[in-house]
Amino acid sequence: MEKTLVDFVKVLRTAEVKVSPAETLDAMTALKVVGYEDRVLFKNTLSMLLSKNPEEKETFESCFEKFFTFDDVMPANEDATSDSEPDDQFEDERSDSNASGQPGGKGSGQGGGQGNASGESTEEDDQDMPSPTSALGQLLLQGSRSDLMIKMAEAGRAVEVNQIVVFTQKGLYTRKIMDQMGLKALQDEITELQNDTGAGERRLAGKLKRARDQLRDQVRDYVEKQFFLHADEHGKQLREELLKKVKLSNLEKRNFKDVQEIVFKMAKKLVSIHSKRRKTYKRGHLDLRKTLRKNMQYDGVFFDLKWKAVKVDRPKVMCICDVSGSVSNYSRFLLMFLYSLAEIIPKVRSFAFSSDLGEVTQLFRNSNLEDAMAKTMRDYGNGSTDYGQMLLDFRRTCMDDVDNKTTIIILGDARNNYGDPKAEIVREMYEKAKRVIWLNPEPRSNWQVGDAEMKKYAPNCHQTEVCNSLTHLERVVSNLLKFTA
Amino acid sequence: MSLERDEHLSSIESIQSGLESLNYISNLQIATAVFLAYRLDKPVLIEGPPGVGKTELAKSVANMLELECIRLQCYEGLDESKAIYEWKYGKQLLYTQVLKETLGEILEGATGLTESVAKLHEFGDVFFSEEFLEPRPLLKALKEEKGCVLLIDEVDKSDHEFESLLLEMLSDYQLSIPEIGTIKANPKRKPLVFLTSNNTREISDALKRRCLHLYIPFPDADLESQIVHARVPEVPAELRRQLVTFIQELRTLDLKKVPAISETIDWAKTLILLHTESLDADMVKQTLNVILKFQEDIETVEGEVQMLTNKALKAQ
Repeated sequence: MEKTLVDFVKVLRTAEVKVSPAETLDAMTALKVVGYEDRVLFKNTLSMLLSKNPEEKETFESCFEKFFTFDDVMPANEDATSDSEPDDQFEDERSDSNASGQPGGKGSGQGGGQGNASGESTEEDDQDMPSPTSALGQLLLQGSRSDLMIKMAEAGRAVEVNQIVVFTQKGLYTRKIMDQMGLKALQDEITELQNDTGAGERRLAGKLKRARDQLRDQVRDYVEKQFFLHADEHGKQLREELLKKVKLSNLEKRNFKDVQEIVFKMAKKLVSIHSKRRKTYKRGHLDLRKTLRKNMQYDGVFFDLKWKAVKVDRPKVMCICDVSGSVSNYSRFLLMFLYSLAEIIPKVRSFAFSSDLGEVTQLFRNSNLEDAMAKTMRDYGNGSTDYGQMLLDFRRTCMDDVDNKTTIIILGDARNNYGDPKAEIVREMYEKAKRVIWLNPEPRSNWQVGDAEMKKYAPNCHQTEVCNSLTHLERVVSNLLKFTA
Repeated sequence: MSLERDEHLSSIESIQSGLESLNYISNLQIATAVFLAYRLDKPVLIEGPPGVGKTELAKSVANMLELECIRLQCYEGLDESKAIYEWKYGKQLLYTQVLKETLGEILEGATGLTESVAKLHEFGDVFFSEEFLEPRPLLKALKEEKGCVLLIDEVDKSDHEFESLLLEMLSDYQLSIPEIGTIKANPKRKPLVFLTSNNTREISDALKRRCLHLYIPFPDADLESQIVHARVPEVPAELRRQLVTFIQELRTLDLKKVPAISETIDWAKTLILLHTESLDADMVKQTLNVILKFQEDIETVEGEVQMLTNKALKAQ
């Protein structure tokens, strides 16, 4: 059971429920207390120990249902297996052949249906039908469906069906599981019986064959479920990893939704890391206790006062984005990122330009990202890039708002169409602001090729970064938070 | 005493019936959580929308076990001096004064600095001792010999630092006071800890890891009806069904704040006071402010009252 639990935890993890080893251990201890008999209790217990917020609970729910999926066996057979098991053996002893009617007799949903019908009509003839010799054959005809399920699960574990990654492997794993369960012996037996002349043997052969085909369907079903359980999420993770590294300008529109999700996820991570930053602030209540202790060393003379209040220092960010054709995609994701961080950096002001600068803060705050982006592109997106004009505009409109707590992020390729770069304004920003960060989507080697003016801007920035994938973006934003807080 | 406690907690059913006798109607999850908390010595972190009975659960459990319920209400700025312990500064200062006066007696006969210091060391150090310690809720809960129920209410309102402060308490049932050492709970009677959170911010993983996590959602109609029956027994069955149906319908609407159980109960009480026998649209309109707490919600619902009332009446 412990192995099963570990497997289940693994499934939860792929489904993005964070389960720590300690929690797994807790779950095991808890299960020792509550036992495995009561499914509802079992589920409630695990749910309480493994999933720790409403979203995780939801994921847990679906994973649990998929993973412990004996539903096609359990409801019909739960009582049957528990109280008819001994009874089962009695009958087996009494008349071996009679047992062939049993799988059907137990009322198992899909499988036993026709077995039942034939079993009853041929009740008399069964007396002279031999019992199967291969292990799997015996299990198929005599064992209960839950035994069969257990056997299937064991075989699945033996062939490591949870390693399944792509759907083309389904056939392979079905085959592997069948083999593991002893398909070969069964096949041999069927062939042998078919070649036999006895009517009883023939009938048995037919029965075994039917049972085998049913089993194959079940195994296929089982593999399918395992695939959804293990591979689906795994595939998603792979895709996400890929998307994080791909150049943002190469992203296709259909991926935007995925990317947005990733951005939110990254932002959430950053929020949880950085929202804790606080610093003591010299105001508010006197912390008598700290003061007393601190001043004990000065013979109890209070001259080093300690205050109770703490102040959360939120960075002030101004973000200037080039939205001309080549860079617009990067701007889109930078803005997306920054606005997902509203919880920890509420004071983001954003500006967009290609030649003239315009503030888009309100736009992004009030409408959803897609609309805001589209509007921004319409209003500012056309025209040739003119960094000089942009900087002039910036100086005119909001240089006064820049103070020593402001971080200015400029995102652009610095391709100025051979116009006047006005690098002195960047210098001015450099002196006034806390930090000036220039993000350039082009690789460093291209920074001075052609009309690129990075050479003039770079010395006036605190930091220049290549930024062309989500991973880069995340790093930049994380840095930003580290320095500003 | 101890026997009684164990008896109440011996099985999930007994917990459920125990709580029910105190008019707290629990579902299976809630009872399981209490059961596990007791058997595994783990704190329970209760989350859920406001007004579903998170705090009430802790109080009811304390009531059921006849233990003291020590409550720590969290808020921004809560720190160890309010949650764990505080020194009695006044007395400490007085003590130093007293010590100063008797210093001559203590040092009598000592020659030289070394000897004096040695003598001072011999003299017991009570400046930082339990004598001068003022226990706050957490410490009080640990020192309770008979065990107790510790309710840390709205832990999400406190600061991040405070959460880390709780970790030692929650995982090992002990607290470290630098000047004195570690204070442990009675190992046989550890306090039963409940934390509640309204999800105003994400609780740190470290804290969550140490807790059982119980999510209490809004109850379904059956359970809610039982709760109303338990809390406001005067409500006739028919009216109860109507008002529960009405509230359940209301929760499906897009509202700023959907009515919780506490609002249902308040409403039931209101209707009783107004001698209502059966819901009607006018009555509902007049009492909407009991269940809805935002003007814009009231405005949204007012248009739908007739429809909702009819639905509730038909539901019988």
